[in-house]
Amino acid sequence: MCPAFGAVRNLLRMEDAMPIVISSGDGCLYGHTFVAHFYVANRPIYSPGVSSEIWAKGSAFDELRAMVYEMAEKHQPAIIPICSLCVSDTVGLPFDLLPKQIGNTEIIYVPLPAYSVHTHARAKDIVVDSLVWRLPPQRKERAGVNLLGEIFPSDPIQIDEVLRKIGTHVNTTVPGPRWADYVAMTDGALNAPLHPFYSESVKRMKMKQGLPFVEGAPVGSEGTYRWIRAVGEALALNPATVESVAREEQQRVRLAMADYPLSGLTFMVAGYEGHEFLLVRLLLEAGANVPYLSTAVNANPLAREEEKWLAAHGCTVLYGANFEDEINALTDRPYDCVIGTTPLCAHAKELGIPSIYYTNAIATRSLMLAGGVAEVLALVTQTVRAKGRYDRIARFFSADEAKPERTYTSWAPKIDLTSELIASGSL
Amino acid sequence: MPDVRENIAHSELPSAITNTPIRKRVTDLDHAGGDTGAMQVFASLRDANVVLDGPVGCHVMPAVAVINYTDAVPYLQNVTCSELSETEVTLSGTLGALKAKVAAAEAQGRQVFIVSTPVSELIGATWTTEHAHVPGSALFFDSHSLDDDEWKSRDRALLFLWQNREHFVTPAGAARKAAGRPLVNIVGPTYGNFNSYSDLAEIKRLVAGIGAEVNLVYPFEANSYDTARLADAAATIVMYAEYGVSLAREVGRPTFFAPIGLEPTTAFLRDLGAALGLGAEAEAFIALEKTTTLSAWYDIWRSTHSDFFASASIAIVAPPTYKDGLSYYLGEELGLPIAFSAYRTGPESSPNELVRETLCALSPSPMLVFGSINERMIVAQEKLPSRFLQCSFPGAVVRRATGTPFVGYAGAVWLLQCVCETLFDVLFANLPTSAVPPERAKAPTKDLMHDGSAAFASSGKGQNSVIAWSDDAKALAERTLKRVPFFVRVSVNKKLRSEAEKIARQRGVGVDVAIVEEVTAAYAPNR
Repeated sequence: MCPAFGAVRNLLRMEDAMPIVISSGDGCLYGHTFVAHFYVANRPIYSPGVSSEIWAKGSAFDELRAMVYEMAEKHQPAIIPICSLCVSDTVGLPFDLLPKQIGNTEIIYVPLPAYSVHTHARAKDIVVDSLVWRLPPQRKERAGVNLLGEIFPSDPIQIDEVLRKIGTHVNTTVPGPRWADYVAMTDGALNAPLHPFYSESVKRMKMKQGLPFVEGAPVGSEGTYRWIRAVGEALALNPATVESVAREEQQRVRLAMADYPLSGLTFMVAGYEGHEFLLVRLLLEAGANVPYLSTAVNANPLAREEEKWLAAHGCTVLYGANFEDEINALTDRPYDCVIGTTPLCAHAKELGIPSIYYTNAIATRSLMLAGGVAEVLALVTQTVRAKGRYDRIARFFSADEAKPERTYTSWAPKIDLTSELIASGSL
Repeated sequence: MPDVRENIAHSELPSAITNTPIRKRVTDLDHAGGDTGAMQVFASLRDANVVLDGPVGCHVMPAVAVINYTDAVPYLQNVTCSELSETEVTLSGTLGALKAKVAAAEAQGRQVFIVSTPVSELIGATWTTEHAHVPGSALFFDSHSLDDDEWKSRDRALLFLWQNREHFVTPAGAARKAAGRPLVNIVGPTYGNFNSYSDLAEIKRLVAGIGAEVNLVYPFEANSYDTARLADAAATIVMYAEYGVSLAREVGRPTFFAPIGLEPTTAFLRDLGAALGLGAEAEAFIALEKTTTLSAWYDIWRSTHSDFFASASIAIVAPPTYKDGLSYYLGEELGLPIAFSAYRTGPESSPNELVRETLCALSPSPMLVFGSINERMIVAQEKLPSRFLQCSFPGAVVRRATGTPFVGYAGAVWLLQCVCETLFDVLFANLPTSAVPPERAKAPTKDLMHDGSAAFASSGKGQNSVIAWSDDAKALAERTLKRVPFFVRVSVNKKLRSEAEKIARQRGVGVDVAIVEEVTAAYAPNR
């Protein structure tokens, strides 16, 4: 996926945003439109037309400005994000000349030259950063926790339930589907980046908002306990209550994990949004062996604690994922399961290793608290158990094809016609 | 062997194919650009490695993300990228990054094609690459990615391959087809071409059917060094009029286009047979087909299925080959009224806004809408009662089984079957649904039978006649019905009336506009 799509995708998911995508060319826009319509939303994608002549004349900007005014006046969305991809950002369209507001609509420039954005994750970071930077200053009356992360829709509800037990609540979740979700951040008392991902946004939030931060997430038994304790401490909540709720939730996670023992199994995990840190934590706690974690995110302060914990549990974090290294590593040791990108999974399947695509299978499930445990571990367990199926297909498409494990008779109807015919005297 | 610099000039050759117009504004772009088109041609060659000269997105988007949903290929393993970063874009140019990737691919014995992208074209890397001596056998193709659409680019790329045919080294032992049966080239498909796997299978079947032999399926089943072998054939079949024409012209053999429809296929077989000196074989094949492949067609045609056609209007939005082909076959041969048709791409293509406006304005709405995801979205967003059938990209689809052709006799059968099945589906969706399980009788049946009018009045039976419809309500119902395809209008009429009157009866009022609105809103047929 083009790195910039991470941003386009999150903006298209906002119900009251009308993003304009300034593509580099038709090949670029076609790609973004195609995957947006598949993954994100059944909604139109607007762009100014581009060509070498349009770039040379700079007329794309005039068209863009006209579009912005028309869209703001006609549809009055909360925000019009201007997604500027490689070429428009390189030629340097004068984005500062766009109005900041038209009526109630905020016009927000989002710079996304893929050649310097590099990763999906970074693009999403840029969106959050661009939007949060536009927010008014933090309000005086503050309460609750601002969750920050790409999480499952029911996660904030589960987390809120726990937070209420210790005397606080979820204030908002960013990125969210509405501009109001971002604006609500100004009421929050604490920011909680749930995975090591929005590092640049966090850096600037620290400059702008002056809020305390709690890192990590309520994932796995240790993670759950530690996170609840950290929130309690940061907000100076009643220590005894916090301790008892943290213990209680930890126990619930432990119980849930007991159903899915993964000991003796080796996993390869490759992800790209920092979410994979949480997954690996869960797998390790369930007893799995995860020799290393390949992640597209770059080493950043948000990942430091998590990395230390993973290292202590035998997992090395490889930042700035490299596909060739991942492919080579596949044959390093016998893997029982691969959770990664489409190309990596394709290779793993060729080797008969059960594999699932991170985005479609893992990112669509909850990981948090006791409820999340079963969702992910059940899927993983089920996948590992399908080894036989993966092997048979791999063998069929390999050079050993002539030696199938099962023969036609495995599927033949269980009817013994010969005996029947003999019994009836026909034979 | 000519060196790289000489070859580069060939990429400037114009193609006969005309671009989709570049518009000032775009809503939901429906065609890819020149870089993607060129990549899809070169990557189709078995021995090729395409190096896209651009940032990582220019590679991952077409060769990993989109290809997965057009061709159901996990990713194109023979496409790599110079992975330009800020340094290359702002300072050093792309040559250094390119050379490394080219060398890596050549080390694997691959024929490298370097393809320009919007970024490399913008920063003038095209000029540098053209004038630099890229080592080895790599060829550079200026894809005109900022200006050319995917179709024109495919056409130019195929022509470029032909112009460079002497450049490719044929490995020892690579054999040409022996002279025997007349040889035929099939030009196209390439990756990213809707439904091409099935269409190709059908064309191969037709070629074999009249006793000819496929010389080359180019580029999809060829190596770059096979290019010169195109000259061995006695005829060329161009799969899709959108690209390959320029190549076919240069190869200079009698050229035929893959036919869509019954008569076009028959004419195709006769003309191709005549060109190859296989006239008698073609006739024999046509006769055999009538009793085999086409017996299904003839049976359906003679059944009541075809009675629906005259009242089942359709809309078609597709690239030229499919738009023209479906219009002729479904409209002329089968007699489905074509409410609207538009070219998705090419000089006469319609912008999406116009397609949306037209589809919404049609009354009745077409029963079937053939199109891409864009039309699918229009049908859904505008709550049209039309049924969507995909006949074009964009739009994620899996069309790898070879039993769904649009071309040839098998295509005629498949499309006919598709239309009939969809019409049955529409019918089912519009049948008035009785309550399941049946509603309880309002008054005991015994009383109703014996007690006459008192029980009869309280039973709800016989009350239809006394439910009054306001004039506005009638008018709205009328308007709603007009938007529904003829084929199911009776069913919808019944459904609308019974639902509206049920609500009115429950509330003890007549049917007013609000009730009709409520019913029509809840009742969203066919989505």
